Amino acid sequence: MEQPIQIEDEVQFLDPERLKISRNQFAELEAELPDGSVHAPVEPVRTFPLTQPDQYISLLDAHKNELGLVEDINQLKEADRTILADELEKCYFMPKITKIHDLAGRFGVTEWDAETEVGSVSFDLRSRNDITSLDRGRILIRDIDGNRYEIVNYHKLDPKSITLLETQI
Amino acid sequence: MHSGGFSRRDMHRMARSAGSRNNARRSDLEMTTLEEVPETLQGQLEDLLESEEEIRVAISTDLQFNGTYGTDWVLATEKRLLAFNQNGAPTPEVRNIALEAIDQIEIRELHGNNYMKVRTSEGAFEVARYSKRFAPKFAEATPEIEALIDKIKPEEAETSKRHRKYVDAGKNKTRCETCGRPIPRWSDVCPNCVEKGKLLVRLLRYAIPFWKVSVPALLIMLVIRLVGVYPPILSKTLIDDILVPATMAVTGGQPVDSGAFGQLLTIVLMMVGAHVFTAVFSAVRGYMMTWVGQRITLTLRNDAFQHMSVLSLDFYQQRETGNLMSRITQDVGRLRDFIAEGLQDIIGDSMALVYMCIIMFVINWQLALWVLIPIPLIILFSFYFGHKMHKVFHVLWRRYAGISTILASTIPGIRVVKAFTREKYEVDRFQEQTYQVFDGEMNAAKLWTLYQPIMTFLTYIGTVLIWLVGGRQILNGELTLGEITLFMTYMTQFLQPVRTLAQMNRRFLRAATSAERVFEILDTAPSVASRKDAIDLPNMRGQVEFRDVFFSYDSEKNAINGVSFTTKPGEMIGLVGHSGAGKSTLINLVTRFYDPSEGEILIDGHDSRDIELRSLRGQIGVVLQDPFLFEGTIADNIGYGKPEATRQEIIAAAKAANAHDFIVKFPDGYDTTVGERGARVSGGERQRISIARAILKNPRILILDEATSSVDTETESRIQEALGRLIQGRTVFAIAHRLSTLKHANRLVVLKEGTVDEIGTHEELIAKGGTYANLCEKQTELSKIRAW
Ligand SMILES: Nc1ncnc2c1ncn2[C@@H]1O[C@H](COP(=O)(O)OP(=O)(O)OP(=O)(O)O)[C@@H](O)[C@H]1O
Ligand SMILES: [Mg+2]
Repeated sequence: MEQPIQIEDEVQFLDPERLKISRNQFAELEAELPDGSVHAPVEPVRTFPLTQPDQYISLLDAHKNELGLVEDINQLKEADRTILADELEKCYFMPKITKIHDLAGRFGVTEWDAETEVGSVSFDLRSRNDITSLDRGRILIRDIDGNRYEIVNYHKLDPKSITLLETQI
Repeated sequence: MHSGGFSRRDMHRMARSAGSRNNARRSDLEMTTLEEVPETLQGQLEDLLESEEEIRVAISTDLQFNGTYGTDWVLATEKRLLAFNQNGAPTPEVRNIALEAIDQIEIRELHGNNYMKVRTSEGAFEVARYSKRFAPKFAEATPEIEALIDKIKPEEAETSKRHRKYVDAGKNKTRCETCGRPIPRWSDVCPNCVEKGKLLVRLLRYAIPFWKVSVPALLIMLVIRLVGVYPPILSKTLIDDILVPATMAVTGGQPVDSGAFGQLLTIVLMMVGAHVFTAVFSAVRGYMMTWVGQRITLTLRNDAFQHMSVLSLDFYQQRETGNLMSRITQDVGRLRDFIAEGLQDIIGDSMALVYMCIIMFVINWQLALWVLIPIPLIILFSFYFGHKMHKVFHVLWRRYAGISTILASTIPGIRVVKAFTREKYEVDRFQEQTYQVFDGEMNAAKLWTLYQPIMTFLTYIGTVLIWLVGGRQILNGELTLGEITLFMTYMTQFLQPVRTLAQMNRRFLRAATSAERVFEILDTAPSVASRKDAIDLPNMRGQVEFRDVFFSYDSEKNAINGVSFTTKPGEMIGLVGHSGAGKSTLINLVTRFYDPSEGEILIDGHDSRDIELRSLRGQIGVVLQDPFLFEGTIADNIGYGKPEATRQEIIAAAKAANAHDFIVKFPDGYDTTVGERGARVSGGERQRISIARAILKNPRILILDEATSSVDTETESRIQEALGRLIQGRTVFAIAHRLSTLKHANRLVVLKEGTVDEIGTHEELIAKGGTYANLCEKQTELSKIRAW
């Protein structure tokens, strides 16, 4: 009997052993693919930016065509991994909020003063819909200008922050 | 733009006034590309700049390269570009790049932050990292720096690719222009700048036309409240003047005053009278106020819907349908409650309190003071409780909304649910939500059950105080039995108005929010509207010219990126291109569903924005890519654009659209009802009905967006044939992926990423061997396979 087609076979991951990632003199990401072709600039895209930030990284060329998928950046050689992780950190800036100092507002518009892992920040939201609650107390916030912030688990914040936050979710 | 700069000498002076700009929420709104450079950098600048060099651009960032918040600087003079990058170090690293060497300035737009990058022939450097808040500032500074480069290298100015066109559609207003505060996503007006007072005045304006009813109703209420405080006074008289003397007489063994029964009867009758009066007039007043309330609803609701129908598509696109619906249904209702009832309640309740206080103070001011002691407690408690309750109800409300969301997605999607056998999943999801509602309801119940006993207890404190203090006064002969009864009764009557007033604040707030949501609709000006001096164009010839047209839906990327071409009157233009190339968008601009962000569309030589909308759309017939049929009969739907059409015209249009044959096969023929989104007819049938609808209008410009994509090739060629006859002398824009559809087209326009890639007749384009020829070839191959 003929085997039915396995749908997973449709996706081929780049072989981490034969992929080379470097930075060229134009501060761009350069990738040498297993087939020997070299591309720059290469733009890495997280296909699951919220749930699987380190897995299934799509590499795009200058015309936004996919060159291939990296299954897991931790499988890459150390040097490659560092460069790719560094570039991803640049491309996806989403500070983690550790404390909420103040949060006030009306009509769904709120002004926040918060502490993040990378310094204190104040920002404004335009509606409650800009706050997304995910599983296990995870919260994503998108401010008026398009910046994004994350609360890893709001239950683990200090009581004052929780009280402030709970008025909004 | 800033013409002049400032020299090094000026900088010291300015440095002193440079305030702390970290965390400055408001100040960074005044966008300038020439900020004040902090003192710490001044010293370094002394060494870096030549003596006559002036700073032209100075912009700060809010992020550093190591991904922490902090301030870096990018400066440009007419000679060089300087970047100061702190990166966690005590002194910033300086990058000094001669403008001479710069090939290009790039902005990398990433998620949550951007980079500014400078490219020279040898390499490229990132010079700034900043959050999205500063994106507008950097977008404005970039062309200014580019202009400085052009001055140094004028020979390259023409040819370089530096000059990117920045099209800012500016559609999404995010911050208020006057106060700089954010504008809620659902709104276009800044709630802070709409003064609260003004809002209430506006609301009251809706009540004013009915003042002939509402003012008497208010007066009736004041009288009712006045009469309402009267029965306890009667009881007092009854006790003090009749019952107590009578009891004393009886216990003293003396005969009761003979007139006593007469007096008793009078007082009881007066009591009955007072109650009947209150009951009757309350009913009358209730009816009057309901009438006022319903009239207000009627006006407001119709005003809102009428205005909504005028608003442009972008208004609808930015808002959820459910949200808009709830404004017209719920918010309007809430406003009615407030205008018709809320205000009068507040006035009436305050008056009742005042009446009662006056009477109590007149009778016995010491006791009155004691009675008032628990009142602040009751107010505080009502307030606190109202707050808690509000939270619980809010959670509950969201959970109910969750139920609606599940229903709203599963009911229309029931086919998908069944096809993928996910019934169980959906049922589980629904059940989980209903359990949450159950929990929420029980939480609310818990609060309520607490509320009652506590409230009773607080009131009881009052009662006890009256017994204690009043009782002592009675013992001292300072108070009568009737008076203490009156105090008792008032104590209970106090409760309800106090509670109402304690919750007044929230009532005001809620009404204000609703008012804003409704007024937002009324205040939004349609972005596409006829100008005051717009002209009628009764006999359009149908010449359409696109002149350097740009358009963006979201100001992030341009859907139309500089399109220019002209159609002759009566010409048929075929629009082809990949999915997402901007074909539908282009025709949306012709119908003026949207206006171009830049450039113009001329119809018969007139800017389309100068033509009366009714006149323009009245002569354009469209078949949209996703045709919509209204609830109604097929005949209604075909005649939608021309209500006065005769039956014969309707049949003729249906025949032209090749719809007649299938329509007569329905048992109800043209009277067949088609439901929501045209259920009960197939996709191809729906398309043909909407073609008939467009043809019936006898438009000068006909737009067919994939109008025949769902019909078989044979039916299509029959429609083609009929259209071929009908489109004589009309300008037609036809979009199709199946190129055979466009065989009658005079010219073809190939769109690619919002720009015109190729333009010409079929033969010309085939000869050219470009994109179109390529597409054609592939489709011919395909059709060969099909023909097999
Ligand atoms: N309402 C909208 N809001 C935001 N972006 C939109 C909207 N409509 C279309 N777009 C975007 O604009 C671009 C052009 O869309 P358009 O509908 O004009 O494509 P099209 O050429 O008609 O494609 P198709 O052949 O698939 O119908 C696409 O990238 C699309 O994602
Ligand atoms: Mg389309």
